[in-house]
Amino acid sequence: MAFRSFEGDMTNAVEMQHIRKYFPSSQVLACDDVSLSVESGEVHAIVGENGAGKTTLMSILYGLLTPDEGQILIKDSPVRITHPNDAIRNGIGMVHQHFKLVPSFTIAQNIMLGIEPNHAGFINGNREVEQVRNLAESFGLPVNPDLTVREISVGMQQRVEILKILQRNAQILILDEPTAVLTPQEVREFLTVVRRLAGTGRTILFITHKLAEVKAIADQVTTMRRGRNVGTHFAKDQTIREMANLMVGRVVTLTVDKGPAHPGETVLQAENLLVAGADGIPAVFGASLDVRAGEILGVAGVSGNGQTELVEAIVGMRPVDGGTISYRGQDITHALVRQRREAGLAHIPEDRMTTGLNLTTNLDENVVVTRYQHKPYSQQGIFSFAPVRALAQEIIDKFAVKSARVGETIKTLSGGNLQKIVLGRELKGDPKLIIANQPTRGLDVGSIEFVHKTLIEARDKGAAVLLVSVELDEIMALSDRIAVMFAGKVLAVLDVKEATEEKLGLLMAGSLELHEADSERAHV
Amino acid sequence: MKALRRTLDSISIPIIAILLGLAASSIFVALANVSPIETYQKLFCEGFGPRGCQNFGDLLFFQVSNGDGGTSTVFSPLYGEGGSRIALLLEQATPLILTALSAAVAFQAGMFSIGMDGQFVMGAITAAFLGYWVPDQIYLLTGVTDPEAAPVVLNTLMHGIVPLICLSAAMLVGAIYSWIPGYIKVKLNVNELISTIIFNAIAVQLVTYLVNFPMRADFNNIARTRRIDDTAWLIPFNRGIFQDIEWFSGARVGVGLIIALLAAGLVWFYLRRTTAGYEQRMTRGTSLFARFGGIPTGRAVLRAMLISGALSGLAGAIAILGVERRVVDGFAIGGTGFDGVLVAILAKESIIGILLVAPFFAGLNLGATNLQFGDLPRQLGGIIISFIILFSAMEDFIRQRLTALLRWRPWTRRPTATGGESVSV
Repeated sequence: MAFRSFEGDMTNAVEMQHIRKYFPSSQVLACDDVSLSVESGEVHAIVGENGAGKTTLMSILYGLLTPDEGQILIKDSPVRITHPNDAIRNGIGMVHQHFKLVPSFTIAQNIMLGIEPNHAGFINGNREVEQVRNLAESFGLPVNPDLTVREISVGMQQRVEILKILQRNAQILILDEPTAVLTPQEVREFLTVVRRLAGTGRTILFITHKLAEVKAIADQVTTMRRGRNVGTHFAKDQTIREMANLMVGRVVTLTVDKGPAHPGETVLQAENLLVAGADGIPAVFGASLDVRAGEILGVAGVSGNGQTELVEAIVGMRPVDGGTISYRGQDITHALVRQRREAGLAHIPEDRMTTGLNLTTNLDENVVVTRYQHKPYSQQGIFSFAPVRALAQEIIDKFAVKSARVGETIKTLSGGNLQKIVLGRELKGDPKLIIANQPTRGLDVGSIEFVHKTLIEARDKGAAVLLVSVELDEIMALSDRIAVMFAGKVLAVLDVKEATEEKLGLLMAGSLELHEADSERAHV
Repeated sequence: MKALRRTLDSISIPIIAILLGLAASSIFVALANVSPIETYQKLFCEGFGPRGCQNFGDLLFFQVSNGDGGTSTVFSPLYGEGGSRIALLLEQATPLILTALSAAVAFQAGMFSIGMDGQFVMGAITAAFLGYWVPDQIYLLTGVTDPEAAPVVLNTLMHGIVPLICLSAAMLVGAIYSWIPGYIKVKLNVNELISTIIFNAIAVQLVTYLVNFPMRADFNNIARTRRIDDTAWLIPFNRGIFQDIEWFSGARVGVGLIIALLAAGLVWFYLRRTTAGYEQRMTRGTSLFARFGGIPTGRAVLRAMLISGALSGLAGAIAILGVERRVVDGFAIGGTGFDGVLVAILAKESIIGILLVAPFFAGLNLGATNLQFGDLPRQLGGIIISFIILFSAMEDFIRQRLTALLRWRPWTRRPTATGGESVSV
């Protein structure tokens, strides 16, 4: 459904002409002669694979990067934007993927940061709160200005970010993957907000990976591939499949083909786990779950509800303070990472850039990290390089890792290719238990398809798979059973057949009552 | 071809950094009201040139007068009349190579340890003590009253064994002295930068005390320890195998240099070819990655600290056994350890880089030391070195400016969107 409430004059709110940006350090041409024009009051989605240049293009518009060539026009007149301050002066605001709020400040303080109403340098706190309240009301985005940011939900934090740029009179709002961190309910609320803002004549540019949202909300959609604009279309004229194919440049399958599971013995059993988070406060608080051979257990939940700590405890990277973990009947609660891995555990970590891979070194040293101490990769502590190179080549071939070379650095590879290296290394030798934490986060459609297929293949070969993801679609598409985590506990384990998005969404928010209380407080 | 491009690319930046460092330092030279060109000429001549070197040209080819009044041109680095400065430079580079290797090993485990000074002086004092104590004990046991009259067999044996004992003991002491900051880092998460600085201070004070009181040998104006026995001496080339070659005559460069080069090879092999080296390098890259892969990170860090300490201890021992032959008061504040840290940083922790930078560093120091007899202070060398380090730390900036200036660099790949097709600039 294309949504259009503002049919004013047809001037372009923003026009970017022939933008070119080359990064000499990584030798990547991120934007190659990209042109884009967006009308006032339009919701314009920018989609594309990782590394297609979407974020670079938007960073140029917001003045975070300077283009090598090309120009930017605001309301048909050329402007020079070399710093975010220039962008703000031109009515451009940006909400980053990772929010930039001060957790210990109140909502009002965050919104008015740097532009506080003051008298001779003394901040007038009451006026501040008053102004924020008026602002919030005028846009129909209610917030309680006195709450501190660390008390409020992620969805509410996003609203604060949006208000922050509205307070600076933004007419053009850039949103970088705005729904990546939200629950389904929050996403719905967010989409309403976007429509309302477009209704006031503001222009919304948003970067996303989720094509369903594009369909639901955007007027136009620009697809980028390898630094080029490969087409701007009316969203209503394009199906999701067409968008996906255009993004990747080939036909992709969006649905996951998977047969019924044939679960065997219980491989992993966690009971009453108590695990402390980085701050020492318990992050996992009496969670229990079990995974059987030949099935995928999905763990759903809003990020930050203990999933990461749970995974780290299971793989041995975080000490367990209470409860037990057993692997094929053996207690491994306090086993070393190496012992667990040698017993057949594989781990696809949440952060492939710092945990899953070492980007400062080459491909060979990355693929050998889990087995370097064994023959044939080393003997008496001295490396034999031929088998290591052969292993790297095997992974490149088997997983079609494009542009990776044996012995070469990997830091210039795209997210999808990096994840293929991780998958190749972890799935080598048919592990019996695979712990996958956000395996498709930040990946494009093509790579997601590949990761999903690989996980299902591993399941069909008899591996037990624990899949943690904040993407509900992914959980529902891949899992045979779904465990929902909230506040460090596993609230429920559902069979995929009885799980609906609605039900999971409510469980992810703690339960029906909790969720309502939360929105009640937010609407004060 | 590819290798050539890579080499060009990797040496272009250090050379630019050196030139920029010299240019920036000339501000200070000009402030002293001296001509920078003349000063640098003198500096490089005194550091790298043959005796009597007058200008930059003499650094490579040098006119010498023959006995019969004529002159002939010689290749300067090989010219050894009155002892070559290159030999002197190598003498000074020897401990520097070892402390730089020590720093590189620690850095490549993710430990920013700068405890080389402490380990160096602890190794030095150990070697200085054992250098006379061990021979004393041996003479006592064998009943030799006059070392001069010791049997030849015993003497030969001691020449082999005593230096070995001294070097090993110094390595052990250095290793332990480095292991402690490592252990409290791994177990208690005490910042290694702070703990190694403190350990340096402790070592310097301890050695100063030892030299002034328990180990003081005589009533010399400046406190000093007893001279090590001749059998503990790492004999320099000019007293040993190369005593007829004049090139070596002025310098105490000797077996120590061979040990340092051997150590460089071993360290390279350890870091690049062994699983233990791999473990410590991965721990540095991102310790999360190492833990994720099952690498025992604590053990890898402690092993690195032991090796690092042993290398610094070895450096200290070589400085004593090969050059000084006793610890003189003030030796402890020499700063060879910290210079090693700078060499390692300047060389980007590359082993070959260290072997190139350490002599360069030693030469600059040598030149600056001789320069102070002129109009400029010795500190000029320090200023130049600091600027060079500063500019080489600005590598990315320089690279970007270069790219912007040239927009065309034949020695790197052309910009491409995907790594494949070429795009016109």
